[in-house]
Order: sequence, then structure tokens, then C-alpha cells
Amino acid sequence: MSAAAPDDGRGPETFGELDDAPPRRRLRLGLAGKVSLAIIAFWLAMALVGPWIAPYHEADFIEEDAEGNYYLDPSFLPPNAENWLGTDYIGRDVLSRILWGARTTIGIALAGTLLAYLIGITAGIAAAVAGGWPDGLMSRMNEVVLAFPSIMLGLIVIAAFGSSIPLLILLAGLVYSAAVFRIARALGQDIMVQDFVEAARARGEGRWWIIRREILPSAMIPLATDFGLRLIFIVLFISSLSFLGLGVQPPTADWGSMVRENLPGLGAGFSGGALASLAPALAIGSLTIAINLVVDDISAHTGGRLAGKML
Amino acid sequence: MRHHNRSLDEILRPSDSAKIESALRGGATRRELLTMLMAAGASAGLAGTMITSAKEVLAATPKRGGEIRFAWSQHGPSDTFDPILATNSIDYARTRLTFNNLTRFNEDLTVRPELAEEYSANADATEWTFKLRPGVTFHDGSPLRAEDVVYSMSRHLGAESKSKAKVLFGDVKEWVKVDGSTVRAVLNAPNAELPVILATFHFKVAKEGAEDFSQPVGTGPFVVDEFVPGVRSLHSRFDDYWVSGQPYLDRIEVFGITDPVARVNALLSGDIQMAGNVAPQYYEQVENTEGLELFVVNSGACNDINIRLDMEPGKNPDFVLAMKYLERRDRVLQVIQKGRGSIGNDCAVGPAYGADYCKEVPIRPYDPDKAKFHLQKSGVTSAQLDFAEVATGLTDMCLMLQRECAKIGFDLKLNRVPGDGYWSTTWLKAPMHVGSWNMRPSANIMMTIAYQSDAPWNESHWKNERFDKLLKEARAELDPAKRYEMNCEMQKMVSDEAGTLIPTHTAYSDAKISKLQGYPRVPLGPFGAMEWPDTAWLKD
Amino acid sequence: MWRMVLKRIALGLFLLWVVSLAIFALTQVLPGDAAEIRLGQEATPETLAALRRELGLDQPAYVQYGLWLQQLLTGDLGQSVAGGASIASLIDYRIGNTLFLAAMVTVIAVPLSVALGLVAAMRPGGPVDRGVTVATLGLVAVPDFLVAVVLILVLSVSLGWFPAVSYLSGSESLWKALHTLALPIFTLITVVASQMTRMTRAGVLNVLNSAYIEMAIIKGVPRRRIILRHALPNAIGPIVNVVALNLAYLVGGVVVVETIFAYPGLAKLMVDGVQNRDMPVVQACAMIFCSTYILLILIADVATILSNPRLRMPK
Repeated sequence: MSAAAPDDGRGPETFGELDDAPPRRRLRLGLAGKVSLAIIAFWLAMALVGPWIAPYHEADFIEEDAEGNYYLDPSFLPPNAENWLGTDYIGRDVLSRILWGARTTIGIALAGTLLAYLIGITAGIAAAVAGGWPDGLMSRMNEVVLAFPSIMLGLIVIAAFGSSIPLLILLAGLVYSAAVFRIARALGQDIMVQDFVEAARARGEGRWWIIRREILPSAMIPLATDFGLRLIFIVLFISSLSFLGLGVQPPTADWGSMVRENLPGLGAGFSGGALASLAPALAIGSLTIAINLVVDDISAHTGGRLAGKML
Repeated sequence: MRHHNRSLDEILRPSDSAKIESALRGGATRRELLTMLMAAGASAGLAGTMITSAKEVLAATPKRGGEIRFAWSQHGPSDTFDPILATNSIDYARTRLTFNNLTRFNEDLTVRPELAEEYSANADATEWTFKLRPGVTFHDGSPLRAEDVVYSMSRHLGAESKSKAKVLFGDVKEWVKVDGSTVRAVLNAPNAELPVILATFHFKVAKEGAEDFSQPVGTGPFVVDEFVPGVRSLHSRFDDYWVSGQPYLDRIEVFGITDPVARVNALLSGDIQMAGNVAPQYYEQVENTEGLELFVVNSGACNDINIRLDMEPGKNPDFVLAMKYLERRDRVLQVIQKGRGSIGNDCAVGPAYGADYCKEVPIRPYDPDKAKFHLQKSGVTSAQLDFAEVATGLTDMCLMLQRECAKIGFDLKLNRVPGDGYWSTTWLKAPMHVGSWNMRPSANIMMTIAYQSDAPWNESHWKNERFDKLLKEARAELDPAKRYEMNCEMQKMVSDEAGTLIPTHTAYSDAKISKLQGYPRVPLGPFGAMEWPDTAWLKD
Repeated sequence: MWRMVLKRIALGLFLLWVVSLAIFALTQVLPGDAAEIRLGQEATPETLAALRRELGLDQPAYVQYGLWLQQLLTGDLGQSVAGGASIASLIDYRIGNTLFLAAMVTVIAVPLSVALGLVAAMRPGGPVDRGVTVATLGLVAVPDFLVAVVLILVLSVSLGWFPAVSYLSGSESLWKALHTLALPIFTLITVVASQMTRMTRAGVLNVLNSAYIEMAIIKGVPRRRIILRHALPNAIGPIVNVVALNLAYLVGGVVVVETIFAYPGLAKLMVDGVQNRDMPVVQACAMIFCSTYILLILIADVATILSNPRLRMPK
């Protein structure tokens, strides 16, 4: 029995949906949500055009100041007219690297998360709906991936095949699909036993209909909440790998590795190199908070219908 | 103070001792002292030893007591006390705390007797006889015997030996016991440098039959109280150490903090007193912190980028030359090494080799125009450099070269490969790869292992008969002037023809609290090649 | 349910075996072997051959695996290929450290995040919710090594309150041990607490949308009671899952914290094992991590079933 049986093509529904079926979705945002959306839009724009508007190439070494004087050592320069956020541990423009890094960082995170969701939700909900031995088999396979700490898996795979961006995306997608699977399956099971699903089943709705109309919408809030976190986990996963020297290849900039490689500047304070490490951390933070606030807004204004009533 | 004068007296006749002491205090140069001692009948080697020892003795007034914690940059389950398997500086430090060698390095890379009280070679240097120092005991109370030395040295011999320094014993046929306190090394070929080899890290003397080094027993200044690989080792003062008065510290804890940021922070917060391998980005902060000091020893060590001459694109000499013209030697020195170390000239022999280093070879300048010209002439359109951060600063060095290539429109692809396994899978094998060299006791040894045509570690696979011939001749040449001339010719050849890019020579940079003193500056490894355990002491 | 538990344990053992096979296969793909790594730059063909013979690496791969499995079944974890120490002794030292740190973080982080999640869920979109969200997200977004280094710079280097290096001798009092481990505990709480908070909030909000809660609201049950008595028990399934995953992470994934604070634990041991190509060490660590995970997930699943009456009755 296939997990996603097609709609059986019956005619118009004979029974209406129960009242507890999730409402139709509408997107309305509060102020925080709007600001967050602007931040997300900004970073997405930077991911697209960052390299063109950046004052320097991500691999460029600063050699002279604005007046053309030669720097003996241009590393960890404080912010100045030429380098608005100063320079990094080896004398590269921090602002330029953040702008270039937007593409790498957001690209990997987005691609990895989408991949994880594609695999995880499909398999998770399929397992919940199918039950029985297909559920058992998928769950066991999933546990093999989950049971192994992700950083260790990354360590071994990269040690074996070398680090490249496609491999990092694949790795992140695979590692996190396992967690998504568990959540999706748990939610699916939970929902499967709820009244509206049982009612739909009683109405004789097909499996696919139940998934599409009942399970997916109901599972949306927890999954969306997880999505926002997942995205950031991938950024952090890549930065943990770069802590072990296995992340994105230099000189390609990504925010997590920038935080890592410029840590020595922290102790020197803002007149030294603290910004070189804090600025990319701020970039990660702003994107994380923005994405998750938007996710919250979506849940509060749509799924949180009743929660809203309680206020 | 008293026993220092006494130990000075042990080396010299009282009258000489007084003379040297006053000369030293008066700021006499090494050359003046040498002349003085040799006039008194000492050989050049002995005189050198005397001065070095006398200087060490007079440098400070050590005091007993104190506990310190030392964190090195690597450690793990592979930590070992087995001298023949020692791999990195944490092993070298631990074995130096626990064992002794037959001979020992001075700061100028000459050697002095340690467990061997005296030693001599036969006329053609094919047999070396070592007279063992009396009154030396192991930590378990048993006396040092000739059998222990023969056993320890023989562990480097034979096909079954897994010694990491086996190659240095290539000329050694066997070690035999002559009598209870005399041993002899019988060689297959003359080797005048055996005493120097014996002073290096792996040739420590353990007890006969010792195979399990989880609870090591040696003759060294400290007894091992606890050892958990990858966690820490605890060492306490060996009261019956054969050097009277030494060591000075009561207890030493040795462990690893692998993260460079955390290591320096632990030093700043006072959790440790010695931090090995300090990253250049921290030099300023350590120097500006009261009570801390950098311990920098300029050395002949270097990091290099190698282009194999027997494969594309290195087969094309214009390509190699173009890369050499793109080296930013001053930038590597200033930006990556923060000014510590010295400018290199694409040869592993640098200024730290002293008289062996040829000052006349002009250093190749940075010249993008010439690079562009040679690159166009070579017709090479792309190249890939395989690298791993197997030594501090290598990645940044590759990044700089890549950027210089990009500036003249050449795409040098960087391919970072995993650092573990690098030496066996990539080094010497990839068309372009990186390497790292420690300093060796002499230019001849250095060039023999790195550039001789059939040397297994000839990184660029450079072959030159004339060079091989000079190398052999220089080994036998006793006239310093002629030897220098040969050294010059060889170093120029390497610099011009070999495919090794060596923009700089590095410095060993470690840090400690300023109160810790008595650290010899032997340039063969970090923290003065870990020669500090006997003499380190803590000032009030 | 007990049958289910027994079945799961049997399945767990099977899972362990699959994982050990997978790891063995992966370690075979890694470039270089323990002997090459050990000898490094100084390797010569002769010394390599000698060391391989001594370590048993000259045997075919399946023989090595067979020997390892055979040893394991007799309760012997074998010896480290890299250093020769017995693996039991390597692990013995570290497992206590790892579990102690994980336990301390859990004891603080789980109640904290469930409470924060509930508070946030009571008024979604309100100022408290926003505050909790921004604070937890702000913390989770910072790479753990940055949190750790900032904590060291401020609390250790500048103020001198806590040590920058976490070493436990095993003989100190609980209070002293907590003081020594304060910085790694803080760091890890920032890592795990935010996800648990977020998922608690989401799980509770999700339940708040169901019909019986609506009924309760209509009946005028106080909000606090609705959340604590009705919503929370029903949201337990997803929450315990997230808690279990985070605990598993605390046991096997905290390599950054162990490295920065030089705290000898299992994660760093495994990283060293991989880097040294020390197959027995890697296998031993993997077995521990996997068993931990299987156990935690089993507990989570039992909790989910117990918390949802409908799941208690098989269909």
C-alpha cells in the first residue's frame, strides 16, 4: 500500500468539513512581522546583488588607506572611511565579506532546509499515514541517521570526500531531514487520531485528500516554527564544521566561518578587531530573529485563531 | 647562588671560572670568550659548550618551588610517553620531563654531554663510544646501566622498528655494551654527526625491556604521577635527579587546549602559565598584558608551496618562475606572521642557520609584470593548489598567492583537503601542494632531506647532479670559507631551480607568564625545543 | 506497552549493529589509515609496514571488523590504535564528565524552556511572547563558540569569576564542580534552551486550536488552567521529542564546548578518533551515542503514548 494514494476521483463531496478542521490560511502581519519581513527582504536582496555592490572582492587584501598610504599590517583595522566595518584577521574588508557571504550563507541554509523538508515531510507524513511495516522501516532507517551526532557525520563525510558547497548542502539536508521526519511523523500521528481526520475518513475521503486537506494544514504551525529554526541550525552546523576546519572553502566568505576566523579580534575590543567577528554574528542574528518572527506572525494570525480569541 | 658557582666550577677550573664570570658580567662577546678559553687550552667545541653553560648559569638565580600548568595546542588518545613514537610537541615536552638523552643541545645547536659523560669516535667516525655518567638513577630507584642504553637505542633499529626517527639511524649498524658503564655504536658508514642526532627528540633513554609507557619510568627531572592520554599528565619533582639542585619546579601539569582562542584566554585568565603555539593575531594582546610574555625563537623552520617539476604545470619552468615572482614575502612576514621570523628566498635554509646561510643570494622581488610575462610565455591557463592547514599560516599564504594570481588574470584554484591524512595522501603527490619544515641542526642535513635528487621528501621532485655532488663534498669540507662557497652555490641553485616557494621563515611563538624563567632558546622546536624542564623556575 | 518496549530494545540492538557497519564502511573510505596518520610526515614504507603489522591494519577490512565485533560481544572494547591505551580506560574517564555536564544543563534548561514556552504561548504575539522569542532566537543564532569566547572574556579574563578551563579531578564537591563548569553550562543552555522553548510554544499553540480547548474556553475555564491542564498534556508528545533530541546532542554533539573549555568528554574523543583513523575508538563512541539516543527516544515515545489516550489504544 502506497503512502500517498492518489485522490480516488470521486465526485463532489457529500458531507461538509467539520468545524474543527483548520481554517483557510490568510497572511496578515503585525508591525514586528513587517519589520522582520523587510529584514528578510534586505538579506535576500543582498544574497542576489551583494557581490556587485560590495566595495571589494571577498578575497581582496586591503593594502592602502584612503590617502594611498601603505599599511604595514592591515589586519583588524578599526572602522574607517574605506572599510566601514574594519578589516578581518588578515586584512580583508569585513563589510564586503558580509555582503558576499550573504549569498553563500543564505544559499546553503535555504537549499539545505528545503532539501531537508522535502525529504523529511514526505517521508514523515507518509509513514504516519501508512502505519504498519512501512512506518517501521522508515522510522528505523531514520533513526540510523538521527542516532549519530550530526557533527560527527559531517566530520567523517567531509574527511572522506573533501569539503564543497554541494556536499555541504547535501549533508545538511540529509542530517536535518531526519529530525524533520520525526516531527512530521509525530504530528501526523497526532492528527490522524483527531476527530476531523476520523470524520474525513468516515466520509470515505482518500488518503491523499486527508493528507492535503487535513494533515498538512494542521501540521503547518509546528513545522513552520521548526523551519525557521532549522534554517539557522544549518548556518550553525556549517559554522561548527568550520570550527573543525571543515566548512566552506576559503576564501569564500560565509558568516559562520567569519565569526570563527576572527575570534582573536574579540579580546582587542572595538578599536581592534571585535567587529570582524561580531558583525557577521549580528547578520546571522538579525536574519534568524526576522525569519522566526514572521513565522510567529503567520501562526498567530492564521492558525492561532482561537488563541487570539482568548486574549 | 652557591651551587651555581659550584656547577660553573664543575665545568671549569676555578681560576678560569672566575675569569669567565667576570668577563661575562663585563659584557664580553662570544668571540672574545672563545679566544680566551682556547688560549687556555680548550678545544673550540668545548669552549663553546663552556660559554653556553656559563651564560645559562649566570642568567638568573633560580629558586626552588612552584607549580605550573602548561597547555599545548594538540593532544588526544594518541598521546604517548614512548620516546620512539613521540609525535608532537606535547609528547616531546612530556618525554623531556621524564627522560634524558645521551647528549643535549645548546642554544647554538652544538651539543653537550647529558647521560653520556663523555664520548668519542674512532678515527674514521665509524664507531662511537659513550661513557655513561655514574650515579644516575631511574625514578624507581634502580641505577642506569649500559643495558638500558643499548636497549633504548636498539629500538630504532631493524625492519620491525616503528621508530619515527629511524631514518636518522640509517648509518647505525648496532649498539653494543662494552662494559657496565660504556656503550658503543657501530656504524655502517662514517657519521660525524651522531652526537647531534642523539640529542634530538626521539633518542631518550628508557629502562631495558620497557614497552608499556602508560606508567613511564625514566631518569629525567620529573616523575610521572598521572597520565591519561588526551586528558592530562601530572609530573612532580624527582628528588634524586642527577643534576644537583635541579629541577626547580615542584609540580607540572601538561595538557592540551586545542582551540587557539581558548588557549590564549586561559593564559590571560591565569588558568595556565605556559601556552604553546600562540597565533600571530594574539602577539600584541599577550605583549600588552602585564605579567605575560611572548617566547619567540626565530628559526629556520618554514612553510612552503611546492610545484612538482615532473608534472604539468610545473614541467614548464616559466610557470614556476611566474609563481615565484608573485610571492609577497614582506606581506607574508608582516600580515601573516606579524613580523616574527625572516624573509625567505625559496630555499629551506634561512638566516637562522647562521654561518651556513648564504647572504649573497639576492632575494627575488615581487614583480607582477615579470610574472605576467613568464606566465604568458608558459602558456599555462589554469592550475590547482591542494592545501590543508597542517601548519599555522599555510592557508593564508595560499590565499595571498591566489589573490596575486587573480590580479594578473590567472585563476589559481585552491582545493582544501582534509588536514588529517594530508601527509600520506596529498603531500609530495599533488601537482601543487603545501609543506612545512622544522629547522634541522645544519644546512647540510636540511638540504639533504629536502633537495637531494633521490631524497624521499624532495617536494618539487627537483633533480640536479651538480647539487648532489656539492652536497657530498660540503659534508667532507673542513675549510669554512670553501664550505660557505659551496653552501652559497647550492642555496642559489635551490632558490632558482627547485619548485619550492618559501616566502618566509617562521618563528616559534609561545607565551608564558614572565615570572617563569630559565628557558633555553634552542631553535629546533616550540618552547626552545622543550629543553626547559630542568632549568625552568618561578620567580616570586 | 511492555511488549512494545522490549521490541524497541531488540530493534535498538539491531540498529546499533547497522550503525557499526555503516561507520566501518565510512572509515574505510577515509584517506589514510591509523599508521599513516601516526607517522605523519616522517612515514617511510618500512616503518609504515611495521606499525601496520603491529596494529593489525595489514589484515583485510572484513577481518578487522570481525575481530572488533567478536571482542565487543565478549565485552571488550579493544585498544586504541592510535595510542595503545585500552578504550575502556579512555571512555571511563570521559563518560562521567560528559554525563555530568549533560545532566547539569538538562536540569536547568528543560524546566526553564518549558516554562518560557508556556508563558510565551499564553499570549501569542504579546510583549512577553515577543520578548521571549527575540531573546531565545538571539541566543540560538549566535554560534556556540562565540558565546563561549565572549563568556570567557567577560566572566573569566575580565572578572575572574569562573575558570576558563574546565577540569574536574573527580574529588571536588558538587558546588565546586558547578563553579568549574559554569561557563560550559551557560554556553550549552543558550544552545539547547531556545529550541526547546520554541517547540513548547508551538506545540501548546497547536493544541489550543483544537475543538476541546474551544469547548473549554466557551465553558469559561480559566486560561491558566486551560494551558496547564488541557493544552500542555496534549502537547507533550512533540515537546518530549525535542527534549530527547537535545539531550542526545548534549551527549554526542558538544565537541565545540569540549574543545574550547578543554573539558575531556566523549565528543572530542570521537573527533580525535576520526582524525587519527582510530577505528575502535570511533566505533566505541558511536555505540555509546547511538545507545543513548535509542534510550532517549524510547522514553520519549513511551511518554507520547502515555500522554495521548488515543494512541494508548492500538487501532
